Amino acid sequence: MLVLLMGNPNVGKSAVFSRLTGANVIASNYPGTTVEFTEGKLKLDGKSAQVIDVPGTYSLEPSNPAEEVAVEMVAKASVIVDVIDATNLERNLNLAVQLLQTGKPVLIALNMWDDATARGIQIDVEKLEEKLAVPVVPTCALSGEGILQLKERLAEAAPGRLNFEEGEKWHLIGDIVEGVQQVTHRHPTVGEKISHATVHPVWGPILALLVLFISFEVVRFVGEGLIGYVFEPLFETLWLPLMSRLSAFLGGGGILHDILIGQLIKGETGEFYIDFGQSFGLLTSGLFIPFAAVLPYIFAFYLVLSLLEDIGYLPRLGVLVDNVMHRLGLHGLSIVPMMLGLGCNVPGALASRVLETRKERFIAATLLAICVPCMAQIAMVAGLLGRYGAAGFLPVFGTLFLLWIALGALMKRFTRGETPEILVDIPPYRMPYWKSLLKKLWMRVRWFIREAVPYVLLGVFIVNLLHSLGIIALLARVFRPVMTRVWGLPPEAVGALLVGFLRKDVAVGMLAPLGLNLRQLIVASVVLTVYFPCVATFVVLFRELGFRDLVKSACIMVVVAFSVGGLLNYALRALGL
Amino acid sequence: MLIPVDRLRAGESGVVRRIEGGRGILRRLEAMGVRPGKVVAKVSTVFMGGPVTVVVDGRQMAMGRGIAGRVLVEVQRPE
Repeated sequence: MLVLLMGNPNVGKSAVFSRLTGANVIASNYPGTTVEFTEGKLKLDGKSAQVIDVPGTYSLEPSNPAEEVAVEMVAKASVIVDVIDATNLERNLNLAVQLLQTGKPVLIALNMWDDATARGIQIDVEKLEEKLAVPVVPTCALSGEGILQLKERLAEAAPGRLNFEEGEKWHLIGDIVEGVQQVTHRHPTVGEKISHATVHPVWGPILALLVLFISFEVVRFVGEGLIGYVFEPLFETLWLPLMSRLSAFLGGGGILHDILIGQLIKGETGEFYIDFGQSFGLLTSGLFIPFAAVLPYIFAFYLVLSLLEDIGYLPRLGVLVDNVMHRLGLHGLSIVPMMLGLGCNVPGALASRVLETRKERFIAATLLAICVPCMAQIAMVAGLLGRYGAAGFLPVFGTLFLLWIALGALMKRFTRGETPEILVDIPPYRMPYWKSLLKKLWMRVRWFIREAVPYVLLGVFIVNLLHSLGIIALLARVFRPVMTRVWGLPPEAVGALLVGFLRKDVAVGMLAPLGLNLRQLIVASVVLTVYFPCVATFVVLFRELGFRDLVKSACIMVVVAFSVGGLLNYALRALGL
Repeated sequence: MLIPVDRLRAGESGVVRRIEGGRGILRRLEAMGVRPGKVVAKVSTVFMGGPVTVVVDGRQMAMGRGIAGRVLVEVQRPE
């Protein structure tokens, strides 16, 4: 038995899904996250039913790929649960009446019931049931109210018996709404006033900058805190003694030692010791990099992002940046894949799927792969450049930002096609449901651990292999002219570029023992970001863009890496670095 | 008088009378609740050609300046 959860975007479908299935799902309230449908299981009378959370759609006449998917699924459904936003009855009935015409059994979940009541909206549920001839259950997915009733009444879902002509649709809907809904007027709430302010031409950007600044500080604070108070102490006090003993046990050298522990670093006193950043053994750097250097920032970043998502700030941000984005050939909401890309380029590239035109998808994916560094990379760069403070960060991230704008503007000029205008629903600000938020956060952190750690270990292993086989030394000789004359980097840094294909964080880590000065660190950090994305991102780009567009992207990457890296090198030298 | 939505003043309301565009844009606007007979209240416009934010049926939505120019509303303004 297949149960479909359908409804407009932003109605809380994912929260209802989460309640019904108890399954892992991301419950955001801005459009675009649920394009890939999620499946789960529901226990009904001892039998198990499959539940699909269908991409949000406004009608069964689809206007974008996500909606087309929704329509296709209707054909396969046993039961359709239409989740309706009780605060927006008329608009939501558009899909409802169309579903009722399909002949499939339908049940209506009147969600956000609490929100509606708070706004003075009263809906006569019995009358609505009468008019639609299908069960209607008021629910509040946040608190869980009504969910049990929903499950119990699923069996009552009936095929709709509404029949109307195309032109009469809105009359019909209007009649229904008039018959069942009453709105008592009340003064604008604080939430509404804030809502208006956040898209205001003057206050909007000011608040946005404030939000971004606070977000940045929180990420930094939480990330650094976790590293300084949790992970580094853990590694130093618990793991280090163990590794030292293992090192001694393995005789301080030899193949097994080099693979597991890595190179012992000579200290000031002449003693050899394990350095978690530089030793590059599977059990040393291989574990330290993902868990102690990167994971804290991943956690902090997704904490802030999930909060911004669930409050509903992102569509407003999209509106504010829309005119800037249009100059880059993009659409305001493409700010979402860009922000996701700051966490990891893979979900960012996947999110660019929502964009309507091929031109937008090409520009967004390319800009993302070139100019948006992932948190793994940012964390490692922060580690390397930390001691220089703003003098290090500003040139790196400033260059990437300016490049993003310039490259976007250029790409807009030279790619064919149109960028459609923004037309988007702005949901009211809502208090995030903390359980949902934590679940989402946990899922993202867990995803990182599962996806990143094996690749980091592989990367560390490969680095060791490359060193011992002399490949890095060989490549250093071959690429010396480029490395030194264009970028001003020591030829050995080519190893970082090679490994950067696999994992950006490991690549940045390889720069540590090279003893680079500030200028070189800045150039290396920028080049590592722009030259190619990691292989995981490449795979997604290939699937999203297709072969030809991917090749075009790749050419742009190479050109940018050379020109921007080189220009940066000379500019910094000219400034006296 | 009849004016396009992007020329509404902040806080002003108008009744949608006509939408100039093909089936595609009509459908998309309809899905957002913008159709003839509906009251649209202007919230604000983002500078430099940015989108227009309005409230329809108590719900905020944003549309590009070009689209806003094609939604014609009737306003009461002292002559």
